[in-house]
Amino acid sequence: MQTAAINRLAPYVFIAPAAVIMVIALVYPLGYMIYGSFRSWDPSQKISETEFVGFSNYVQLANDPAFLESLSVTLRFAFVVVSIEMILGVGLALLLDRKIRGMSVLRTLFILPMMIAPVVVGLMWRYMYHPTVGTINRFLKSLGFEGVDWLGANALTSVIIADVWQWTPFIFILSLAALQSLPQSALEASRIDGATTLQQIFYIKLPLMMPVLIVTCLLRLIDAFKVLEVILVMTEGGPGLSTEILALRISRTATEFRELGVAAAMSNYLLILLMLLTVAMFAFTRIQEVRARRQQALIGAEN
Amino acid sequence: MLSVLKKVAGATLGVALMATTAMADPYAAYKDTTLVVNFPAHPHYDAVMRILPEFTKETGIEVEVDQLPYLKMRERQTLELAQDEGDYDLIAYVVFSKADYVFADQLENLARYFMNPKLANPNYDSGDLIDGYVYNIGFAGGQKGYLEGKTGSLFGIPYGSETSVLGYRKDIFEKHGLKVPETYDEMLELACKIPELEPGMGGVASRAASGHHASHAFLLHLAPLGGRVFDDAWNPIVNNEAGVKAAEALKKIVDCGPEGASSFGFGEALGSFLNGDTAMFLDTTVVAGQINDPNKSKVVGKVGWAMHPMGVRRGSQTGGFGIGIPKNAENKEAAFLLMQWLTSKKGDKLVAMAGGNPSRFSTHADSEVNAKFPHMATFGEALKHADPDWRPIIPVWGKINADLGTTLSKVLTEDLDIKTALDGVAERTTGVMEEAGYYTWK
Repeated sequence: MQTAAINRLAPYVFIAPAAVIMVIALVYPLGYMIYGSFRSWDPSQKISETEFVGFSNYVQLANDPAFLESLSVTLRFAFVVVSIEMILGVGLALLLDRKIRGMSVLRTLFILPMMIAPVVVGLMWRYMYHPTVGTINRFLKSLGFEGVDWLGANALTSVIIADVWQWTPFIFILSLAALQSLPQSALEASRIDGATTLQQIFYIKLPLMMPVLIVTCLLRLIDAFKVLEVILVMTEGGPGLSTEILALRISRTATEFRELGVAAAMSNYLLILLMLLTVAMFAFTRIQEVRARRQQALIGAEN
Repeated sequence: MLSVLKKVAGATLGVALMATTAMADPYAAYKDTTLVVNFPAHPHYDAVMRILPEFTKETGIEVEVDQLPYLKMRERQTLELAQDEGDYDLIAYVVFSKADYVFADQLENLARYFMNPKLANPNYDSGDLIDGYVYNIGFAGGQKGYLEGKTGSLFGIPYGSETSVLGYRKDIFEKHGLKVPETYDEMLELACKIPELEPGMGGVASRAASGHHASHAFLLHLAPLGGRVFDDAWNPIVNNEAGVKAAEALKKIVDCGPEGASSFGFGEALGSFLNGDTAMFLDTTVVAGQINDPNKSKVVGKVGWAMHPMGVRRGSQTGGFGIGIPKNAENKEAAFLLMQWLTSKKGDKLVAMAGGNPSRFSTHADSEVNAKFPHMATFGEALKHADPDWRPIIPVWGKINADLGTTLSKVLTEDLDIKTALDGVAERTTGVMEEAGYYTWK
C-alpha cells in the first residue's frame, strides 16, 4: 500500500523543482503584471498604495491614437521583416545546400550578425545611416547619386533593413539544418522520376521542411514583436511615431510617462496578440498534419 | 620650578587650543562617516569626481559614488527612494524629477539644515546662487507649485545646471562680415543665409529628433518668443501665436540646417557643430568644454559665444541637475555638509576649474576661472536671464513632452501643418491635465 503511494507520488516529486521554478520565474511576474494593469500605478508608489481602476487602463489604450499607431507600426514591421527574412533565409539555404569547400567557415560568417549585441547593431547602423559622414551615403555620393535621408524620411525602411541584416542568418541556419536532414530517398526517387530542381524545391523540399519553417517563423515573429534595443538606439521611435514599436512605447510609458499600470496593460495586449498568433500557427500545423494523415489513410485504403 | 610651571602651562594651553580647534571643526562629529551618493555620468559630475578627494581630505568624511547613465539613474532612484531605508545619502536628480520626488515626499526639506547652526555655514552666501537655477531646480511649492514664491521652499541645490547660449563660428562670421545675431529675426535670417554663403554648411545645429529632442528645441524658442506651455489656469496655450512662431522658427532652423538635421538628437547636433558642418549652435552651456578639445572638435579656437538671442523677451533655458537629500537617507547631516561644501564658493570654483558648470554668479565672474575658460563671463551674463519657467515641471509633463515632441517631429518630417499640429497637442494636453486633476478648481 505504502509503496504504491510512493510510486504514485514519485513523478510529482520529480516535477516539483521545475514547477516551483516555473511558478517563481513565470507565473508570479505574469500575475504581478496582470494585477498591476488594473491599477493606477506611479513608480514612486508601492503597489499596495495604488488605486484599483478596473479596466480603465485598457479602455484608455484602446482609445489612444498614439498606442494604435504604435500597434500598427509593430504589425507592419513584424510582418515585413519576417516575410523578407523567410524568403531570403530559405532561399539562401536552398542555394547553399550543396557541398562547397569551406562551407563551415561560410556558415560561421553568415551567422555573425546574430551574435552581435543589439545595442551595437543599432549604433553601427545609426552611424552607417548618418546623412553626411555615414558609409552608405558617402558610397552613394561617390557613385554620383543623391544621399538618402535614411533615419528621417525613410526611418521604417532603414530599421527593417537593419533587422533583416541581423536576423536572416537565423532563418538561414535553421532552414539549412532542416534541408540537410531531409530523407535522401524521397529526393532520389523524384530525380529518377525526372523532377526538375524547381519541382524538387516546391513539391518535396519545402513541404518536408514545413514543420521546421513554421516554428522558425513563429520564433521570429515573436522576436520581431518584442524588438527594442536596435530601434531605440537607431531612431528612438521617430520621426513622429513612425518607428515607435510597442516594446518601445511600453518602455517609454513606464519610464518617461511614469504610468506603470498603463504599461502593464499594454504588455498584456502584446501578450494576448502573441498568444493568438502562436495558437493560430499551431492550429494551422495541426490541421495540416491531420489532413496529411487522412490522405495517407485514403491512399492506404485504396491500395 | 618656574620652568616646570611654564611647561605645564604651555602644555595646558596647547591641549586647550587643540580642544577648541577640535570643537571649531564642524566636520569632527562626522569624521570617518562614509556617504553613499548617486551621481549621473555627465561632464559636470566627472569634474566633481576629481574634487571629491579634496572634501575627504578636509573633512575626514568618505564619499562613495555610484555613477550611472542619467536615465538609468532616474530608474534606480525611483526604486531606491520608495524603500523604507535607502542606500543613498545624497542624490543628484535631473530637473524634471523634482516634481515626482517632492510630490511623493521623498526629498528632505532643506530648511531644517540651514536652520541648524552646527551645520549651516554662515559664509555660505546663498544670495550668490543663480536665481533661475535655484527656482527651477531647487524650489517647490511656490507659484504653479513648482517655482519660487511665498509658499515655496527649498528641496535641493542646483549643481551641474545648464542654460542656453549661442555658439558661433568666429572665422565664418568674419569671412563674410556677418554680425552676431542678437534677436530671433536676425538669427533666423542668418540661419538660412549661411548655406548660401558657405555651400554645404548648415545655419544652426539643433536637436529635432522625435520625442524629447524636438520638444526641447521648440521650448528653447518658445520662451524668448513670448510663449508658455500653460496659462495661469493650466490651460494649454502652446497653440497660440507665440507657439506657432516658435514652431516656425524650429522648422526654419531644421530646413536650413545641415543634411539630415530632422533626425538629429543632441549628440548629432553637437557633432555637426564640432565637425564644422554648421555655423551656429544654440543649446546648452555644457558643451563648452568639448568645443576646445582637439580630440573631439575640428573647430578648436574658432568658436565665439553670445547670449541666447532675444525675441520679445530674453529667456534662456534652465535645466540640468540638482542635489538633494533623500528622506530615507541614513547620514542626512553629513550629506548636508557635503552638499554645502560642493555648492559653497570654494567648492563651486574648484569644480569650475575642473571643467564643471558652476552654480554661482561669483564663480562666473572669477578672474582665475575666466582666465582658464574665457566663455564663463558670457555664460554668467546669460544666466541673469535664465528663465526657470521655460518648461513646466509637473508630474504629467513626461507624457505631454512626448506628445509635443512626436507631433513636432511630424511637422518637421511629414510637413504637417503647424497650427493643426499644435491644436492637436493642446487638445490632448487638456485631456491629460483634466485626468490629472488640474481643473478640479475650475
